[in-house]
Amino acid sequence: MNWAVNSPWALTGLLLALLPLFNSGMRTSPAPWTALIPGDTLSAFVVCCLRLCAVAAIAGLVLGMAGLHRTEQSRERIGHGAHIVLLLDRSSSMDNTFAGRAPNGVDDGKDAGGTPPRMGKVEQRMERLPRAMHGAIAEESKATAARRLLTDFVKQRQTDLIGVAEYSTSPLFVMPLTENKNAVQAAIAATATPALGFTHVSKGLGMAISFFEQQPVTGSRIVLLVSDGAAAIDHDSEQKLREWFKQQQVRLYWIFLRTAGSPGIFDQPEDSRDDNAGAMPELYLHKFFLGLGSPYQAYEAESPDALKQAIADINKLENLPMHYFERIPKQDLSAVCYGVAAFLLLVLFGVKFFEVKR
Amino acid sequence: MTETLHYRLPWQSSAVYPGAHPGQMIGAGHLFKRHEPLIASPDPRRIDLRASVLDPFSSYRVRVYQQQSTVNVYLIADMSASMGYADKQQTLIRFLLTAANSAFDYGDKFGFIGCTERIEHRWLLPAGQHLGRVSALATQLERLSFSGSANGLQNAVAFLPAERSLVFLLSDCHFPLSQLRAVLGSLQDHDVIPLVLWTQDEYAALPNWGLISFQDMESHATRTLFMRPAFRQKISTAYQQRQRDLKHIFRAFGSEPLFITEGYNTQIINRHLQQRVA
Repeated sequence: MNWAVNSPWALTGLLLALLPLFNSGMRTSPAPWTALIPGDTLSAFVVCCLRLCAVAAIAGLVLGMAGLHRTEQSRERIGHGAHIVLLLDRSSSMDNTFAGRAPNGVDDGKDAGGTPPRMGKVEQRMERLPRAMHGAIAEESKATAARRLLTDFVKQRQTDLIGVAEYSTSPLFVMPLTENKNAVQAAIAATATPALGFTHVSKGLGMAISFFEQQPVTGSRIVLLVSDGAAAIDHDSEQKLREWFKQQQVRLYWIFLRTAGSPGIFDQPEDSRDDNAGAMPELYLHKFFLGLGSPYQAYEAESPDALKQAIADINKLENLPMHYFERIPKQDLSAVCYGVAAFLLLVLFGVKFFEVKR
Repeated sequence: MTETLHYRLPWQSSAVYPGAHPGQMIGAGHLFKRHEPLIASPDPRRIDLRASVLDPFSSYRVRVYQQQSTVNVYLIADMSASMGYADKQQTLIRFLLTAANSAFDYGDKFGFIGCTERIEHRWLLPAGQHLGRVSALATQLERLSFSGSANGLQNAVAFLPAERSLVFLLSDCHFPLSQLRAVLGSLQDHDVIPLVLWTQDEYAALPNWGLISFQDMESHATRTLFMRPAFRQKISTAYQQRQRDLKHIFRAFGSEPLFITEGYNTQIINRHLQQRVA
């Protein structure tokens, strides 16, 4: 309980709270001799209560004006879960479908031709089924699918600390590790804005790892890389990443959203001339990750369904007990103060009507 | 001012001057008092032959009659702050004028002793027969707003004559009973008629429900009460108990009090005065 006020000088007004102790605020009637009136405990009690009400009302108003608040605090919590950093690819190819085309909106009936309107609804429902295998009609983009599934994933992982980072030409800091799921959801939803140019995965990874720097090592630490392509990592970055992965004890999950026809992670080059990082960046990135020395798992998802499967896997795997501090933000109590004061004033106002004038 | 207080004395006045009340002096009265030797009261018209014959010393016996005498009437008034409540002050002034008029009608002398914290000379009126002075005093009293306590009552006896007088004690008796005992003890040489002035507003006209804040007129202390029927009944009972206590004390000092609670009325006082003689 750490209480604080915004403007301490306003607390001098608390002296005013003593006023009701000296003045009852009631109109007095003259009485020839009050000693003749027998003593009454209930009256004394009521009067005492009213005075306290008045004191509390004034104190409430003053504290409200002074801006009483509870400072930021942290609460120790133990749960099952992980520290997860979602590292999302924001390259423009993510806005395409798994088939490598631009998404054509929700069920415009491109292939269905003259489908009657009531058939449209059926198709809309059908759309949630995986269709990449047999030619999409109206597919969602990879980014949308990732967004939808990650949102569900975050919903399931209630006890985790989740952070979000993105990368394209350069890494984007979106959301530090937090237990606030609404914020994470919002951060994921914010990826709906159109994507940017290139894929600079090493810097993105660097940033994702940097999220763990200020955190205690508890539970498991996961970087969940969601991307649809890769890029070559230069030698210096490779060195640094190796070091950081080891230092921070981070597990890496790579969900590779494979576009139909593009090279996959596990594809071996047919021609030995193509066997270099420039021609097959996915393979080489995979190889680099394998060689990191920290636990690593890659999933190649060719459809939203496969993506779902990959996320379900991670969900199952990463449930170690962990120990963390939940941060409770600064709470402004002035509204409570004003509310209490208003209530007490209302009570006193009501009592005023109860007052007998003679 | 046509109303008159018909006060009579159940005792004999020691005043020399002839008046309207039974006195200790002998003179031109109708009530036979005793026989005296002719030499003591040389009025041959009153010689009682039968008594003279029976007298073993063979002297002339003369019948003497009781002379109606005057009596000094005093009004000792409590002028504490509590007497300023409601119409008590007006009642005091009305009673002052009525009593003075009655006394002058009977040919008696009237004096006034006003008691506040102590006895001030401007509120003293020595026994006399000047209606003008009484009226002037009444006008002054009308302008005065009463304050302080009634401690002066204990010293009032110092301003009374040594011979027995008729004393009206007009007060609301809102002071401790011990003080009342002291006052009555000091006034034992005199014939005291206590008039206790209360108003029903004080205790009977309270509300059944509500918060009411009372300020004591003398001590200025404030008391806030949460009124409810049970508590109202309690206050009423307390006043009744107070009335019983006061009566008890007054009777212990040989005077029957009159409680004026439902407005001042000369007839009520007259009835009381007649009861006490009968």
